[in-house]
Order: sequence, then structure tokens, then C-alpha cells
Amino acid sequence: MNITRRNFTRLIAGAGVGLAAPAHFVKRAVAEPKKGDELVVGVWGGAQEKIVKEYVEKPLVEKYGCKVSYVLGGTGERRARAYAERGRPSFDVLYLNIYESRQAVKDGVTQEPTPNVERFEALYPSARRGGYGVAFNPCTIVYDKRKASKPITSWKDMWNPEWKGRIAWPDGLGAEGISALMMTARAWGGTEKDFDLVVEKVKELKPFAAIQSSQAQLFEMFDQDICDLSVEFGSFTRTYAESRNPNIEIASPEEGQALAMNVACITEGTRNQKLAEEWVNLHLSEPCMLAYSRELYYSPTVNDLTIPEDLKPKLVLGEEAVSKLVDFDWDLINASRPKWQARYDREIAG
Amino acid sequence: MNRWIGPVLAAPVTLWLLLAFAAPMFVVLVLSLHEYPDPFGPILMAPSLAQYTEIVSDTFYLGVISETVLLSLAVTVVAAVLGYPLAYWLARMPVKYRAIAFSVILIPLLTNVVVRSLGIMLLLSPEGLINTVTGWVGIPPARSMLFTHGAVIVALTQVFLPFMVLALYDNLQNTSPRVHEAAQSLGASPAVRFLTVDLPLSLPGLRAGSVIVFLMASTAYVSATLLGGKKVWTTSMLVLQEAIKNLNAPLAAALTIAMTVIGLSFAALCTIGFTRLMPWLKGKPSRPLSIPRWLVPWVDALGPIVSRILLLMSLLLLLLPLGLVFVQSFNDVPQATAAGFKGFTLKWYEQVFFAGTYADAFWISVQLALASMVAAIALALPAAFALARFPFRGRSMLVAFWLLPLTLPNVAIGVGMLRLLQLYVIIPPFIGLMAIHVIVILPFAITLLTTSVMALDRSQEEAAASLGANGIKRFFLIILPGLAPGLFAAGIVGFLLSFGEVTVTSFLTTARMTTLPVRIYAESTFSLEPTAHAISAVLILFTIIALAVVGKIVRLDRLYAR
Repeated sequence: MNITRRNFTRLIAGAGVGLAAPAHFVKRAVAEPKKGDELVVGVWGGAQEKIVKEYVEKPLVEKYGCKVSYVLGGTGERRARAYAERGRPSFDVLYLNIYESRQAVKDGVTQEPTPNVERFEALYPSARRGGYGVAFNPCTIVYDKRKASKPITSWKDMWNPEWKGRIAWPDGLGAEGISALMMTARAWGGTEKDFDLVVEKVKELKPFAAIQSSQAQLFEMFDQDICDLSVEFGSFTRTYAESRNPNIEIASPEEGQALAMNVACITEGTRNQKLAEEWVNLHLSEPCMLAYSRELYYSPTVNDLTIPEDLKPKLVLGEEAVSKLVDFDWDLINASRPKWQARYDREIAG
Repeated sequence: MNRWIGPVLAAPVTLWLLLAFAAPMFVVLVLSLHEYPDPFGPILMAPSLAQYTEIVSDTFYLGVISETVLLSLAVTVVAAVLGYPLAYWLARMPVKYRAIAFSVILIPLLTNVVVRSLGIMLLLSPEGLINTVTGWVGIPPARSMLFTHGAVIVALTQVFLPFMVLALYDNLQNTSPRVHEAAQSLGASPAVRFLTVDLPLSLPGLRAGSVIVFLMASTAYVSATLLGGKKVWTTSMLVLQEAIKNLNAPLAAALTIAMTVIGLSFAALCTIGFTRLMPWLKGKPSRPLSIPRWLVPWVDALGPIVSRILLLMSLLLLLLPLGLVFVQSFNDVPQATAAGFKGFTLKWYEQVFFAGTYADAFWISVQLALASMVAAIALALPAAFALARFPFRGRSMLVAFWLLPLTLPNVAIGVGMLRLLQLYVIIPPFIGLMAIHVIVILPFAITLLTTSVMALDRSQEEAAASLGANGIKRFFLIILPGLAPGLFAAGIVGFLLSFGEVTVTSFLTTARMTTLPVRIYAESTFSLEPTAHAISAVLILFTIIALAVVGKIVRLDRLYAR
């Protein structure tokens, strides 16, 4: 069959419509935000709530006339709820920690990060997994320097007899807990696979002064002289040390500090895709990142900020410093979680 | 025709329970028979006993379960020991002061569990009130009172003591003064009279109180988490850890079933044991209780002292934490749990009144509590009439079903509902939460209203009928006024239970729908400012004012009279 010019034009037009149609549908799925749309964000309370309200919510509401609602608290409950609602989420944006976020993407609960978020390009590579990393927040040993015979320079120093009975071990397998356990493995010549070694070594530290399940609780324990040493986020501890307790020191062990990261995750099936992406974009903006660095000593996950001189020594900055943070095999950790949790409950906490 | 009235009146409450209670419980049962956790798998799988085998064969689980049982037993015993003097004191209080005295019980009940537990922390922490006071007299501070079984027992007793007192009060105040006069005329001193007359007569109250306190204590997790600092483990904490942190719903479900079986067994044992102690209830011959003669002088001498000390302890336990909440609401410290007064500030109140912190959550709680209370009464009232006036076959089975939510751990409903959310997405969150809160209220509302209906004077209704009043007139002019105290009681109890509920609610809240206690609890596990104390202090003040006003209209002590 010969193709006449008219037929050809028709064909092209038809193909054009056919090709354009999916694009049209995609566009429709990511509807433009309307005035009065409500974005639901699950985030930690306290200072973080205040910062995002000021630097993310305000500009977002100004631009789109939307409304933002928050579910505040630790990540556990919001993760459980997001899992229960997979595909039909009541959350649009969910803040999770490093291991939860990677698992949530695998489980189809939250989305992989994409360049639809403008600031994606500025993210460090390690902040592009499991969602959009919004803050590096390494975990390390924090201790009362008055009680130390010499400054702590290695994770092994926890085993010095002077700390016996004075350690508040972090609870379970959260960010702090995993950091403490995995760094134990590294310090004593093992890897993530050597959980037997970890348990044996940590058992040597018992009895613990307490098990701490949040930094608020830990700082209270320092204040009340219940314990002298723990493993915690350096960022919060620095704020605490500067405002309330100058005796607390944040160690920089030779094995490195453990990488931990807060991740903003957009849920699969959100009805506010565009708003959620805008939210994340604003979170990665310079004013918001600097506010986090200034108030909480969270280290930025984007590489194009101008950091004030006074903040520089207190943050993890630049590709090289970021790459020095110790990252773990999260797939292995997540797969071993039930087994490890069981051993933790029985042999470490019990 | 009459045959059908009972079942028809009983239908609404039964239907509600089937949808909002039996469904999640069924899901829990099914989940507990899953072989392995799969958060996205189907609900129905080939049944397996793997989870139960794991629990039974693992000494850790068995250890935590027995720890929970022992802890709950201790709480029950302490609550009974402290509850008696308090209930006795309330029952003997002149009517004029009784309303005020009753607020000793009602105010703690209205203050949410999280804040009360924080109050206990302020009491026991190394720089807390106890150590401060002992420090004044030169006693070195006890640094390790927090995060121990003792701390958890104190906190749980604080939380559940009011329920024990209410159960005991009910019986103690019903004892006729003539019985006391008779005992006195036979030479019994007040202490001997209490042990030989009041104590045996109040055993039904002790039975009810023990069952309620044990069940509540054995399923509590908020106080155990906050005061135990993860060094004390309870089954509910395990359930929560498995369900939320490890996403292992089958194990969580199996653990809740284990808790349920233990709770029901305790209730059954308690009922059998106490019934044996009270043969007179069944009209069987019984020997009067007597105290050996040589012991009487000791009882007479020590009785008044011991009872006063216990009364003082129970009052302090109930009120001190609330006092500390007040003090903390003016304390210039960065965290809610920071003990020791560092400086006076009004900033926490500023945040409550001007920055609107907690305002949304507060209004949601109020609306939810009102709606749940009204719905629960609307369901319970016909049920109460069905029980009291229109007996039908299978009634006792149905009553057992209606009261089941009381004996089953709330956390179980939470675990089941979390899974059901996938099916129930079309239900608006408010209605979903209300459905569950109504379940929590129903057992109390049914018991309170049934006794109220039974206490109605039928002769008044007959008189009204003989004077020509039809059914509707009789209902509004005779029955309803007669029921007013009962309705009022059910209303207040219902409101309180809903307003303070954390356990199930925390599983089901959404961003748009977070209640006040859930928000405070969520923050307390992360970082909580004394703003929580400020709003609690405001609520306590409101409660006192409300009770004073209400006390003018209704006798508050009648609220719990059954």
C-alpha cells in the first residue's frame, strides 16, 4: 500500500495524539496543587517541627495556599501506619531514618528519589537512597569528660573499666542502637555478619546504668547523674552540651562515626505528589538547611551551601568528610532484624 | 410480642460490638495463627501454631509474661491496701464535703496517664521531690528509684487506684449504719468492726476492684515504658515492639491472645475465690469472722495509726504527682521530665494559650469524648432495660460478650484495627476512633445503667400508669428523672475514659485526627516540653471547677453507686 501525503499526515497526527496521551495522563496524575489542598507530613516534634514550620510550611503555603498537617513523634508509629496504609496513604511526606527509608522503598511504601525535586541534583550520592536525605546526623560516643581518665579516641574505649556500670546503652535496633552494635563489630575486628562477637563484647559492658530510648531521656540521665556515657547523635548532644551541660564531650573515634541520616520520603500513592515534591525541595533549600545546621548541628546533605565560618568545625562538610562516615550493610541488617532484636532483648537488655 | 422486646433492645449494642470489637479480635486470632509475618499478605492463611510454639518454648517470653503477672498482682494488692482506707474515708465523709472529697479520685482520673506518669517521674528521679525532702533531713539521695519494678508498681497503682476505690466505696457506703451500731453495741471498736463487719461485707467490691485493676495493670504500657525505662518488661510492651517496630503482627497477636487468656483466668479465679469467701451470698450457712481475743488490743492500738498512715499515703500518691505537674508547668526547664525547680516562667502557658500548641488536639479529644459518650449511652440504655426488665434466653451469654472488651487488652484491639485499616479505609477517621472509644466505654456504661434501671421504683411507674400516663409520658416524667444520676455517672465516666484513652487510639490516629493524650505520649517518647504540664494543669483546674458546679446539682458520690 502506498502512503499518500494526506494519509501520512493523518498517521503522524494520530501517532502524535497517541504519544501525547500517556504524557497527558501522567500530567493529570501529578495534578497541580489547588488552594486548600492538605499535605500530611510525619516528622519529629520539638525543634524539627519548629524549623519545618518556619522554613518549609510558610513558603509552601504562601505559594500554593495549601494547608499542612503534622503527625509528630518517633519514626516507629508513623512507619507502622504507613505500612498498614500502603498504596492508600494518609501521609504524603514521611520522615524516616536511614534503614527504615531504604526498606520502605523496597516494600513499595515510599518512592525512590527523582530529579522531579529540583534540589535532587545538589544531593550527595549517599543522600539519594531510600528517599531524599535531608540531614547527616552521625552517631558516636558521648560522655562526661570529668569521669574520663583520658579522652575517648576509639570505640574500644567503652570497655575501659572506668565506665563499668555507668553506661546508658541505646535501646534496641534504632539508629543509635545499631550504630553502637555495628561499631562494636568494627572496633573488635568484625563486620556486620559477626553478631555473635557483638553480643559477646556488649555483654562484657554489663551491668548498664540504664537503657536509654531517646536523647531527651539520655540528657536527663546526664543531668541527674544516672550515667556517664552513651552512644547518641552528635548533633543533639552538641546542642545539649552547649546549652545545658558543658561537661559532655562528643568523641571522634579513630574508627569513625557511624553514618545516620534523616530521610524525607514521599509515599507511594500520595494524592499530593507535586506538593510533596515542593515540600522536599523547600526542605533542601539553603535557608532551611542552614537553620537545621544552626539550631541542631545537622550536617547538610546538599553540596552547594555557603556555611558560616563559626559552624564549619561543628558539622560534617564536603565529599571527603561525608565519605569517612561509616556506613553499614543495611540489607543484611534489615534482613537480620527479627533475629537480632530477639537476641538484643534477651542477652543485652534483659 | 413482649418476648421480642428484650432482644430488640439488645440488638444495637450487640451489632456495634460485632463490627468494632469482634472484627478486630477475630483478625487478631487469625493473625496469631499465621506462620510468619507478612505485612502485605492476605489475612487468611493456612493456620499454624508456630507463634504459640515460639512463645511457649522461649524462656524470654515466658519470663516477661510471668513478670507482667507478678507486677500486676503487686499493683492489685497495693491498690487494695491503699484503697480501703481511702474508700472508707470517703464513705464516712459528711455529705456536705463528699463532693469535694470525691474530686480526689475524679481529678486523677481525668488527668491523662502520660502526664500522671511524668508526675511520678518527678517524684522519684534523683533530683526529684522525695530526694529533695529527704535531703533536708540529711538522708543521702536514693539515686536509683527510677527504672525499677518498684517505680512501675508505684506508677500503675497511682493510675488504677481510683478504680479500686470506686469499687470498694460502692460497697462500704451501702453498709447500713445499723449494722455498725449493732457491732458497736456488742463491744467492737472501730478497728475490730472494720475487720469483722465492713471487710467481709465489702468483698464483692474488692472482687470487682481486683479484677479491674489486675486487667488494666496487666495490659498497661504507657506507665511501664516511661517508669521502667526499658529495664522492666511487660507483655504489652512486647506486643507493641513486635507490632510496631518489628512489623511482626502474628507474634504480637499471639502474645495478646496469651494476655487475654491470662486475664480471663485471673478474673475466673478471683470470682471463684471470693465467692468461696462469701457463702452468705448464696444463702449458705457461714461462720461470722472473729478476731482472737489476744489480738484485739493490738488491733485497737495499731488500727487507727496504720489506717491513717495508709490514708495519707494514698492521698499523697494520688495528689502529689498532680501537684508536681502544676509546679512543673511553671518550671523553666527544657524538658518535661527534668526534675528540680530551675526558675519561674509563664512561657509554657503562653504556648498553650497564645501559640495554640495542643489546641487542635484538645478540641479533637473533647469532640471525640462527647460523641463517644453520647453514642455509648444511646447504645447502653436500651441494653440496660433489656437486662433489667425484659429477660430473654441467652441473655447471660450476651452480657458476657458485652463485658468482654473490659477483660481483653486494648492493645489487642489496636493490633487488629491496624490490620483492618486496609479494609476500613472508607470509614472517616473520626467515626473509626469513635467506634473504638464507644467499645471502651460500653462495659462501664452498661453496668452503671443496668443497676440504675434495676433501682428504679416500679411502683411510681404503676402509679403514673394508673393515673392515665401513657408509655412515653412515663418514660420522660418518671423513668428519665429516676435515671438521671445513673445517666450522669455513665456520661462522666464515658467522657473520662474516652478523653484519656491512649492505647488503642495511638494505633488509629491520623494527621488530621490526633487526640491530646496521644500527642503528649508521642512527644514524651521523643522530646516533651513542660507545655504538656501547662495544659494538664489547666485541665485539672477546669475539672475542679466543673466538679464544684456539678456537685451543686448532683451528689457526686452517687456517680459510682451501683
